[in-house]
Amino acid sequence: MATLTRQDLNFGQVAADILCEFLEVAIHLILYVREIYPSGIFQKRKKYNVPVQMSCHPELNQYIQDTLHCVKPLIEKNEAEKVVVVIMDKKHHPVERFVFEISQPPLLSISSETLLSHVEQLLRAMILKISVCDAVLDNNPSGCTFTVLVHTREAATRNMEKVQVIKDFPWIVADEQEVHMEEAKLIPLKTMTSDILKMQLYVEERTQKT
Amino acid sequence: MDDLYLDNIDEFVNDQNKIVTYKWLSLTLGVHVNIAKQMLYHYLQQKRNESSGTPLHATYLVSGKCVENGSTCHKVSVVREDKLDAVKAKMDMTISVHVYSVQRAELKDSSPLYNTDYDTVKENLKNCNKYSAIRCAAAVSLSSAELQRAQEMALVPPVEKEISKPGLNENTSATSKPSAKQPAGIMGMFASKNASKSQESSKEVKTEQKEDSSLVETSKSKTASKANPMSNFFGKSAQKKADEKPNKSIKEEMDGSSTALATASMKQSQTSPKSEIDIKEEQSKVSNALKVESKDTRNKTKRPEVVDCDDEKMESQQKKRRRIKKPQPDSSDDEVVPDSPPVPNVHTPSPKKQVTREPVSHQEESSEVKRRKRRRVLKSNTFVDEDGAFVTEKGYVSESYSESEEEPEPNSQAKDSSSLKQSFGKRKEEKKEKSQKKTSTANKPTKQPSIMGFFKKK
Repeated sequence: MATLTRQDLNFGQVAADILCEFLEVAIHLILYVREIYPSGIFQKRKKYNVPVQMSCHPELNQYIQDTLHCVKPLIEKNEAEKVVVVIMDKKHHPVERFVFEISQPPLLSISSETLLSHVEQLLRAMILKISVCDAVLDNNPSGCTFTVLVHTREAATRNMEKVQVIKDFPWIVADEQEVHMEEAKLIPLKTMTSDILKMQLYVEERTQKT
Repeated sequence: MDDLYLDNIDEFVNDQNKIVTYKWLSLTLGVHVNIAKQMLYHYLQQKRNESSGTPLHATYLVSGKCVENGSTCHKVSVVREDKLDAVKAKMDMTISVHVYSVQRAELKDSSPLYNTDYDTVKENLKNCNKYSAIRCAAAVSLSSAELQRAQEMALVPPVEKEISKPGLNENTSATSKPSAKQPAGIMGMFASKNASKSQESSKEVKTEQKEDSSLVETSKSKTASKANPMSNFFGKSAQKKADEKPNKSIKEEMDGSSTALATASMKQSQTSPKSEIDIKEEQSKVSNALKVESKDTRNKTKRPEVVDCDDEKMESQQKKRRRIKKPQPDSSDDEVVPDSPPVPNVHTPSPKKQVTREPVSHQEESSEVKRRKRRRVLKSNTFVDEDGAFVTEKGYVSESYSESEEEPEPNSQAKDSSSLKQSFGKRKEEKKEKSQKKTSTANKPTKQPSIMGFFKKK
């Protein structure tokens, strides 16, 4: 992550950095709360000054990091519309979709000094909401897997297919099966608006999970 | 009291799906904590009796005496409802049990409990003990004049301390300093009030160097010491993204210091939840210590402060170290000559063993006067380039030592130095360099990324 010096502040990059960090924490937390992986692989780490559960498994961490590394350029250019964490059952039908709708406000500026602490506060609230989301969601069947989809605006995906941002980590167009979910219920979780970032988090849940 | 509060709690829990802790409730509704606890209890009873609607989960705070490792201790823990009876049975004597929180979600771990209280407490920093049951008349904030005096006094010694110990890695300092400081801090607490207060105010000064001036301005000593860890962390997270390793080690130190506190404070029983390690984990313990600081009575006020001192000082010193080091690559002095004599000793074209041994000793010297050495190293590099290949080599080798020295430092500095080194490196073309650099890098495998990048450029 680039250090912020006064000279080379690139606001788009800053916003993308913040968002990707948050998404990493959020994905780990979703995996923990929805019990996709056994809780033994998670350990408490600190982010935004609160404890969060992050996985220790190196391959899982690497996968999530590579995923977000590829997503970051899209976010910088404001081409990413949604980042979706899809939880699928054994037959690869989605059971739950955690949708992070992202947009950047047109006038991106990091003016106030308290902006970053304000953003931290909002992100903390998001994390809290993810932690308690199991109250509003039904339990998942066992043996679920997850994947991350990115919905982009316009034709940004064509570039992604041509240029492999990370070697041996190709992105492909998602199957219809993974994208669409039958009988979906929409459960909004949290919305946040700040000077550098706007994000909405909601969950689409299949009515019948088993 | 009317029953509107039941509707309020109902709205929070069911409609907004919040976790309602008694602390949060007392601050939100503006009631005494004991009343908040009773409110939660009544709400729970009512809902359970109705036996309809969504299931509610609750956590309880249990405190009592128990025997652990042969010694009796007063244990305070936050437990889930299903474990409540088991924990109560394990205690010799249960002193108090009350509802800690009510929520719809079945919490898998205690982090959300801390998260819920964090923001409300931060907003009410000055008066978060307004509704608390624990009071201390002697706990008053410093006046601003006293504060300034203490800041000035404290500013000088820590700065000197830092300059004398620049070589410590961030990680090792994070682990070693706080651990060394813990006994010192706790002993120091016994020794003098002034020390702890000056330590706190020194943090204030350091945070003033940071962006969160708003927090510092509005806070006095107690609140300042609370604000400082938070603003320190904000500053850190704002500056240094996702650097979890030092955070983790700091956290471990905070845990360590808080366990030291907990064992030391065994005798004092009626305290607000300084929960031990049952379900609520150690971070929340320290955070409780931080938050509860102003609520605590008599001696306790110093103990959490000491914890803060340790953490904050370490934090701010790390920050300070970072800040001081940053300008170095930019400003280069002209003390080239003193550096060159040791360099030929270190770096003769020789078998690997010699070179690997040398870096260690060289490192040790440079660790004491780290900053100066580093500057000289860079300077000698430029000087060296103009002269010729061999001289260039020397310059590089000494560079790598300093680089590996600062390996755990913030990426910014590594990047500054590595970018400078890369620009110098383009002119160097000696195989010998490569082999020697490889041996020197072998000593610090974690430094490889930047040095290997250097190689690839060739």
